[in-house]
Amino acid sequence: MKRHLLWLMAALAVLIVFPFIFGPLQTNLMVRFAIEALFAVSLNLLLSFTGLLSFGHALYFGVGAYGAALILTHLEGIPLVLAVLLSGLAAALVGLLLSPLLVRVRATAFTMLTLAFGQLLYVLCSKFREVTGGEDGIMGWTTPPLRLPGVFSLDVTQPLYIYFFALGLSGLGILAMWYFTKTPMGSVMISIRDNQKRVDYLGYQVVLTKAVIFCLSGFFAGLAGAIYAVFNNLVSVGGVLHIMVSFQPLMAILVGGIGTFFGPILGSGLLLMLEEATQAYPELAQMISGLIFIAVVLFLPGGAISFGARLRGWWQKRAYLRKAREIAA
Amino acid sequence: MNILETKALCHDFKGLQVLFDVGLTVRQGEHHAIIGPNGAGKTTLFNVITGTYRPSGGQVLFKGQDITGLQPYKLARRGLGRSFQITSTFEKQTVFQNIRMGVMSRMGVRFDCWRRVAGLDSVARETEEILASIGLTAEREVLACQLSYGKHRALEVSMALATNPDLVMLDEPTAGMSKEETHATVELIKRLTQGKSMVMVEHDMDVVFTLADRITVLYYGSILASGPPGEIRENQAVRDAYLGDMEFSNVF
Repeated sequence: MKRHLLWLMAALAVLIVFPFIFGPLQTNLMVRFAIEALFAVSLNLLLSFTGLLSFGHALYFGVGAYGAALILTHLEGIPLVLAVLLSGLAAALVGLLLSPLLVRVRATAFTMLTLAFGQLLYVLCSKFREVTGGEDGIMGWTTPPLRLPGVFSLDVTQPLYIYFFALGLSGLGILAMWYFTKTPMGSVMISIRDNQKRVDYLGYQVVLTKAVIFCLSGFFAGLAGAIYAVFNNLVSVGGVLHIMVSFQPLMAILVGGIGTFFGPILGSGLLLMLEEATQAYPELAQMISGLIFIAVVLFLPGGAISFGARLRGWWQKRAYLRKAREIAA
Repeated sequence: MNILETKALCHDFKGLQVLFDVGLTVRQGEHHAIIGPNGAGKTTLFNVITGTYRPSGGQVLFKGQDITGLQPYKLARRGLGRSFQITSTFEKQTVFQNIRMGVMSRMGVRFDCWRRVAGLDSVARETEEILASIGLTAEREVLACQLSYGKHRALEVSMALATNPDLVMLDEPTAGMSKEETHATVELIKRLTQGKSMVMVEHDMDVVFTLADRITVLYYGSILASGPPGEIRENQAVRDAYLGDMEFSNVF
């Protein structure tokens, strides 16, 4: 426990000094990491902890992003934090509205339904030009500063402050979801994943619990979308509602480690690093990420987070075999 | 007083009628066994009573109240617990966590997302007590899927009892067990259901005659006979229904 705390402190210290050591380019990359990680963890709540594969999580991300863009464009003078939280709540509300349908289906039917809703919103936002700006999207609003009256007022359009804003919110969100998995309701969620029928027969309301999880997952995905909007000062259907936006966190979960809480965070980081490394060869980038994806599925099904344990297991097996051979000789 | 009563209960699967006017009565505090040849409709009767299916006709009364077609979680909260013929636990979770799910439900810790589940001392204490009483304390950190078959079945039955139901319904608690495991499970059920009302479906006649105060014989979806074990043993219709069934004729 003490060692964990020490590691946490060290990581925090590194994150705090990070923007002062590295340039704005790397700092902006970290902001993207914070957004991706929060988004991936929110999806992972469904995939790894409730056992539901969603192909339409961009729906919540998009609602959060568009929500933030619309609020900041049309409601001048609204505090930034309130705008971002409201955007998250809008996404949670969408989760609540869809839950009567989503709780009724499982497995492939669930996946297809989420895909359908995700694509539905994509088309709606493309066509509803008056509000969403269609293909062009919404941009150019003035982002209010992050203010605590009389204490500080930070301009989050600067790399340094958006960095702390994004990392702070993302960190709090991930922490909240991690805590949720440790609560009694979190146990019910995990048990629904393992055996929904039994949960029902033990006296828990499966439908209501799932609805709460959809709202929660939607809220944090929406929060990630809102941070995205603030960071980019631009929201378009291609950037926040496209089907690839739904697949990105899915890749992060699979590459990082499905079935674990922290795997998706690692996966998000790895995918971003990969994207940066292959930036100079855009025609190769997709092929390389595809190959890596195949390699992970084939050789490391537990994801990057299981790499250490995998290596240790392999090493122990080798040592054991050598010893067996010595004894035999 | 009858804790459970079905009145003219019927059920059909898309036209294939499985239950015909079943009138089952289970008295308060009694251990009741439902027996019958394969395909008699025993498990269907269980499923209709416990809310898996809504019956196509008739009524189910539990503690005098109409519970026909209520969803399983509502029945569980009213005090009706059940176990399954095909073991249905949380296989990727530890034995402790499995039992804890039952204890949490009993204590009403269902919609709590503020406290840590590991910090709920009363739940943990209660769970430990149950583990001790079913003799699985040593296996508390073992995943359910890694238990031996007999112990996994014992866990299955214990989960139904962990919610402390007024009536527990066991669907073939000893299915597929070895002689020793069966014996141990019978002792366990005897101990855990003392003073409780219990209904079970069972094929093993030794188990039935050891545990049951009353027996109901189901035959092609209808009740053939119902009464104390001695009476059932002597019943000519029951004997005829089972004629040719080696297992049963050995018992009589």
